[in-house]
Amino acid sequence: MIPIRYNLRSLSVRKATTLATAGGIALVVFVLASSLMLSAGIRKTLGASGKRDNAIVLRMGSDAELGSVIEESSVPLILAAPGVKADARGQPLGAAEIVVVGAMEKLGAEGVTNVAIRGVGDDVMRFRPEVHLVAGRPPKPGTDEALVGARIRGRIRGVDLGQTFDIKKNRPVTVVGVFEAEGSAYESEIWVDREILRQAYGREGIVSSVRVRLDSPTKFDAFRAGVENDKRLGLSAVPEALFYEKQSEGASLFVSALGGVVSVFFAVGAMIGAMITMYAAVANRQREIGTLRALGFSRSSVLGSFLLEAVLLSAVGGGVGALASLAMGFVHLSMVNLASWSEVVFSFDPTPQVIGVALAFACGMGLVGGLFPAVRAARTSPLMAIRG
Amino acid sequence: MTLAGLAVRNLARNRFRLLLTVVGVAVAIVAFLLLRTVIWAWASGAEWAAKDRLVTRHKVTFVMTLPRRYVEDVRGAPHVTAVTWANWFGGKDPRHDRDFFQAIAVDAASYLAVYDEMKVSEGAADTWAHDRQGAIVGDVLARKLGWKVGDKVALQSGIYPGDWQFNVDAIYTATSKSIDRSTFVFHWDYLNDSLPPERRDKVGWIVSRVDDPAHVADIGVALDRRFEDLDTPTLSQDERSFNASFLAMFSAVLKAMNLVSAVILVIMTLILGNTIAMGVRERTGEYGVLRAIGFRPVHVALWVVGESVVLGALGGALGVALAFPFINLGVGRFVEENMGSFFPYFRLEAANMLLALLVAALLGGLASALPAWRACRLHVVDAVRRVA
Repeated sequence: MIPIRYNLRSLSVRKATTLATAGGIALVVFVLASSLMLSAGIRKTLGASGKRDNAIVLRMGSDAELGSVIEESSVPLILAAPGVKADARGQPLGAAEIVVVGAMEKLGAEGVTNVAIRGVGDDVMRFRPEVHLVAGRPPKPGTDEALVGARIRGRIRGVDLGQTFDIKKNRPVTVVGVFEAEGSAYESEIWVDREILRQAYGREGIVSSVRVRLDSPTKFDAFRAGVENDKRLGLSAVPEALFYEKQSEGASLFVSALGGVVSVFFAVGAMIGAMITMYAAVANRQREIGTLRALGFSRSSVLGSFLLEAVLLSAVGGGVGALASLAMGFVHLSMVNLASWSEVVFSFDPTPQVIGVALAFACGMGLVGGLFPAVRAARTSPLMAIRG
Repeated sequence: MTLAGLAVRNLARNRFRLLLTVVGVAVAIVAFLLLRTVIWAWASGAEWAAKDRLVTRHKVTFVMTLPRRYVEDVRGAPHVTAVTWANWFGGKDPRHDRDFFQAIAVDAASYLAVYDEMKVSEGAADTWAHDRQGAIVGDVLARKLGWKVGDKVALQSGIYPGDWQFNVDAIYTATSKSIDRSTFVFHWDYLNDSLPPERRDKVGWIVSRVDDPAHVADIGVALDRRFEDLDTPTLSQDERSFNASFLAMFSAVLKAMNLVSAVILVIMTLILGNTIAMGVRERTGEYGVLRAIGFRPVHVALWVVGESVVLGALGGALGVALAFPFINLGVGRFVEENMGSFFPYFRLEAANMLLALLVAALLGGLASALPAWRACRLHVVDAVRRVA
């Protein structure tokens, strides 16, 4: 076995070439890791919004809360369906809410964006214990006071603690509190009193969706049968986790697909870079290789040594790229979620899997790029090489 | 032999490395062009928008509609030559559950006059005008879902309950690149008459043509002022700003893609620079000899730079040659069929191809800066003596 020190020294002798090749690989890994992190972030944000033991009821045929219309009179029937969990006082745990989007002015960027505004009942925190205030106070029930999600705070004109914005012409709402909700899509929403929002948008007597907590996820089929059997109501029930999974499908697929295609192109480019470097290394070190062979190192240990050198080269690049991509964890990206037509703020989520995949990808590039040069090195005839 | 000839001949010294480098650059250029085309196709919706069309919609949110009588007010406004209106229907064919397309209900008598870039054969337009349940379908959508003239189609909407029956009366094509060829267009009267009385006589948005494109913004402002004091305020934008504000919702994604397309160019420069640096290192002795017989440092630098520019241009040319069929025959068709509402026209543009060629050659020159500087700084004696 040829000592690894030989490879390390060889790499450090040609600094410029090593840096250029490793730099190329670092950039590839950076882009790949970032797109995987964004895709994971999208799934996390929308995934955190769906709870396993919640079900959401929408109008039959609606995929999103925005277009769904449910008569107020149906709400008690839904809450009375089998499988709905009751709280300590025997009240069914559920939330009938209305969702609209408003065009609001962005701060720090030109133009307007669509923001989801959710009309919630007074007991919204009872249904969503994961939501907690990080600033301000809870709104007084039935007043023009609003809560805003932590991620959207400060991104939209008038949407920050103590500020005011119009939900309709001459209908100002004051922000009294900021909430966090485990990084879910709720953090990109504005919550106002249900009645106030209905009046402002002319939606009296209707809600968009009804969420219920089930006794356990296994009770879903019974609940669904209870809700959907009455055809006159025209309702459909979906597990909440599935509902959000479908919403994340499109965006997450788009990012993964585009990121994947681009990474493959980048990888081919960087692999060729590694190949050029390794071929040059083999060609320049003919004499060294010949000497190694003459000293008694076998063909396979020469092959292994050059492969190792290629993998080392790309692992260094990959490590740098992966490290740099961790910085993307501080970046927030706002994007319109096509399922709800409103802006959702996503973050890059650096999971261990993402970093692992990126590093493995880098080593793979080194292995493939180094294979042919290493084979050529192994086939060097000692006699010819030493003679030059 | 001329100096330039020598530079080019130097390229052929290591044919295998030449081939690898050209392929590496070409791959990078293909990825670059793909990203450029995505960005360009995205922005082209605003670029090719009609300058004399004005879109009037609800000021606060697109989920709310305008009263039908606003149409008459717009028609009566100065400079307005033609008016039409439309409602978003959503819509999907239950037989093609996963294929999303946009279906809109429009005023059939005026829609094709306002959107005269949509082309329907003379007779077919007439048939559609007289068929209450008739629809015209974009050619891309019709091909994708296999619809022909005379087919009966049932659609479901997320907004309007029930099954809706339509006859495909005509297939439209587009003479402008900003027109989506995947839209399903049908009679507003059919929709309106089927709704319960309280939901009737609402329009989603009003589109008007004006006789004075230079003042389209002022005309819009005048319209909005007129509606400001009524219960439903409006926002009027010319088609270009309307499309641009839609694009602005995705500005973060576009920024990211711009960044990534810059990264690929850096990787390409690294590959090119590496190859050139290796060549220079191997030929150090020759440069010494050339200097010794009277060539000046500037000649040496020119050889290195010239070689690199030619190398970059070769790779660029191969990249463009590969990208053309890849984008125009492969990706482009897929994108137009499946994401037509975002990318009605997804093709490689001549301007982008030229840009790629220029960038490849220029970066070739840039990549050689360091090796060229090194080569011309060499002292003759050192250079002749040095071993690579």
